[in-house]
Amino acid sequence: MRDSKSSLLLLVSLVLFLLSFAILCTWGYNVYYKAKEDKDKTVALIKDSTTILRASKAIADATRDSLQKIYTATIRQLDAKLDSTWNYADSLKEPLNSKLNEFFKLRTEITELLKDKNNSADLGLARQKVFELQRKVDDLVGKNKDVEQENKRLYEMLNQLSASIKEPSPMNVKPVVFEGKTETTPAPVTNLFTASDMHLSAFTQTDNDKEIETSQAIQTDKLVGSFVVKNLHSQDNNAEVIIVVLQPDGHVLQKSSWESGTFSTADGKKIYSCKMRFDYNKGESKKINFSLSSDRYMKGNYIMQVYHNGMLIGKLSKTLS
Amino acid sequence: MFKVFEKHLFLLGCVCVLANPILFAQNNLKLKYKKSEVYAGIEVGSKGVKMSLVEVSKDAQKAQDFNVVKDTSVNTDFISFTQPTFQATMDGLTGLYNTALNDYKITPEKIFTVISSGVKIQAEKFEKNNWIKNFIDSFKIRIKEPARQVEVIDVLQEARLSHLGIVPSSRRYNTFLIDIGSGNTKGGYFPGTTTSDFKLFQLSWGTKSTANATEKRLEDDKTMSNFNKQLYRVLAGSANDEIIYSINLSGAYNMSDNIAFSGGIAWSIATLINPELIDNPVVPVTYEEVEKFYERIYRNYSSLAPEEIVKTLSDQTLNKIAIAKEIKTVNKVFDQQSLMAGTGLLLKIMRQFEGIYEKKQFYLVKNGQVGWVSAYVDQSISNQSAAK
Repeated sequence: MRDSKSSLLLLVSLVLFLLSFAILCTWGYNVYYKAKEDKDKTVALIKDSTTILRASKAIADATRDSLQKIYTATIRQLDAKLDSTWNYADSLKEPLNSKLNEFFKLRTEITELLKDKNNSADLGLARQKVFELQRKVDDLVGKNKDVEQENKRLYEMLNQLSASIKEPSPMNVKPVVFEGKTETTPAPVTNLFTASDMHLSAFTQTDNDKEIETSQAIQTDKLVGSFVVKNLHSQDNNAEVIIVVLQPDGHVLQKSSWESGTFSTADGKKIYSCKMRFDYNKGESKKINFSLSSDRYMKGNYIMQVYHNGMLIGKLSKTLS
Repeated sequence: MFKVFEKHLFLLGCVCVLANPILFAQNNLKLKYKKSEVYAGIEVGSKGVKMSLVEVSKDAQKAQDFNVVKDTSVNTDFISFTQPTFQATMDGLTGLYNTALNDYKITPEKIFTVISSGVKIQAEKFEKNNWIKNFIDSFKIRIKEPARQVEVIDVLQEARLSHLGIVPSSRRYNTFLIDIGSGNTKGGYFPGTTTSDFKLFQLSWGTKSTANATEKRLEDDKTMSNFNKQLYRVLAGSANDEIIYSINLSGAYNMSDNIAFSGGIAWSIATLINPELIDNPVVPVTYEEVEKFYERIYRNYSSLAPEEIVKTLSDQTLNKIAIAKEIKTVNKVFDQQSLMAGTGLLLKIMRQFEGIYEKKQFYLVKNGQVGWVSAYVDQSISNQSAAK
């Protein structure tokens, strides 16, 4: 009788343990996968089981992979320069457009060739086209340098002209200066500020309250940005610019509820990260600094936009890994 | 030996099973900060009992940051001072206390219970102070905690705590906080550089009282056009005199850069003007925006329906379902007339701060009702730490 009682007790204990274990597992599973949501989506690797069946096919695949790597590297190299190439193109835009069209056409052809895994005969053709693509990229990079030099020369010329004119006409709008990956929309013929020398950096705070720059999202405690604004036609002593920092998920990173709000643009109402008000004297180059803090930072691309009177006057991107 | 082992095993199993719901209860709350603690503030007000679960950041860099995790209320009518409402309020308070204790696993020393100034004022008015004393004693017996503190807050303390709870420390000494209630308006600011000195501001006009005064003037013509006309007269008459006098007397114009409005009407206007900022507890607005909004309520009220507002949102990252739900709640709480009355009163007060040479920054605070409870919790934590 006692034996049966103790067996029953043991059985109940085991059931309780199993139940507890199951609940803990469920909880752990939820916590683990919730934490994983913030991380970037992992890349799924699909293994092709048929590659182990044929040695010859494996060689072909290896060749294809190496070509794929060269292709990817070439595309990356181009991507790094592409934004600036687009943005800095002005007078050289037409020839550049045709070069870029050639490049895109070639890239599509290579992608099609590499997609077709059953056709080994096309690999030679793909290799040839990849080399041609590399050559075109080198060509584009060279062209980009020309555009940058031309842009610099024009900017200096405009500076000299602006300085020589005592009463500048409303048409004489100074162009935006670009640094690094900064983009811009051309300043329209209005009383707008221009933004230049834009920077956005991530900082981590150490235990002894020191701030160190970082590129890691997980280490980031705050984002610090700066830019220089200038307006040759400003009539007011007080000015205001609006800063929008978009997170990788597209949401606006807000400084705080008290400092963020909405503003109107040609594309409709937008949320801003913070608003900067400052005293301004006509023609002065004014440096604006700001910082944004958040409890968590996502990995990916952060886009900083500067608006004046609802118009985009400067744009910059920063990647946190 | 084996039997002892069996017993221990059984007990351990029971402990494991019992421990799981605790873990689940804590994880049910959506916490914002990396390091934080959750406190409960339960307030017995004129209209009901309200519980706010407040997450207080333990981060040294964000000393006074808090996040309202949950806001629950039970509607009772304590200030009618009848036996059934006394009992209903007691049940509400005990129920919310037990919810915090058992469902959210908040320990008694982290649960704060208070009686609001509204109850105190009414009790003094009708000589029912003993009702409050009996209520507190009965509650202590009910929860078997004779040492529990249930503080009765006065209007100055409530306004001061609201300011401390709502306005961040960086804006503390240049912000004038005004709470537009249903029957009156109160608020104030810190004229100096210490939190002990608080300048109280009061008006006998609120959203409901303005709407009621307008309705009384309508006579047979119940049209919106007549409501608009009579509302203008109410606000231009005795309300205007009192507003100008009280604001001048407060001296807030010269002392404040920011004017923040809380209360139900501030929440509703903030939600309808800026639905994009649904998650923000505070929304900046301009006088012109509120003025345009008033026109919209009067001339195009149908454009304030949830589906109409959601249609205008172009940002794809917005949670349109949550926005529509919040707008629906606003439409339930405020009808066209009360929305016009509240907005009209707000504009009248804002107008006093619209100078030619100096413009103030206006804010609408959405969760103002939990502000003072949060500050009370924060103050109590500081007092507890100092006592240790």
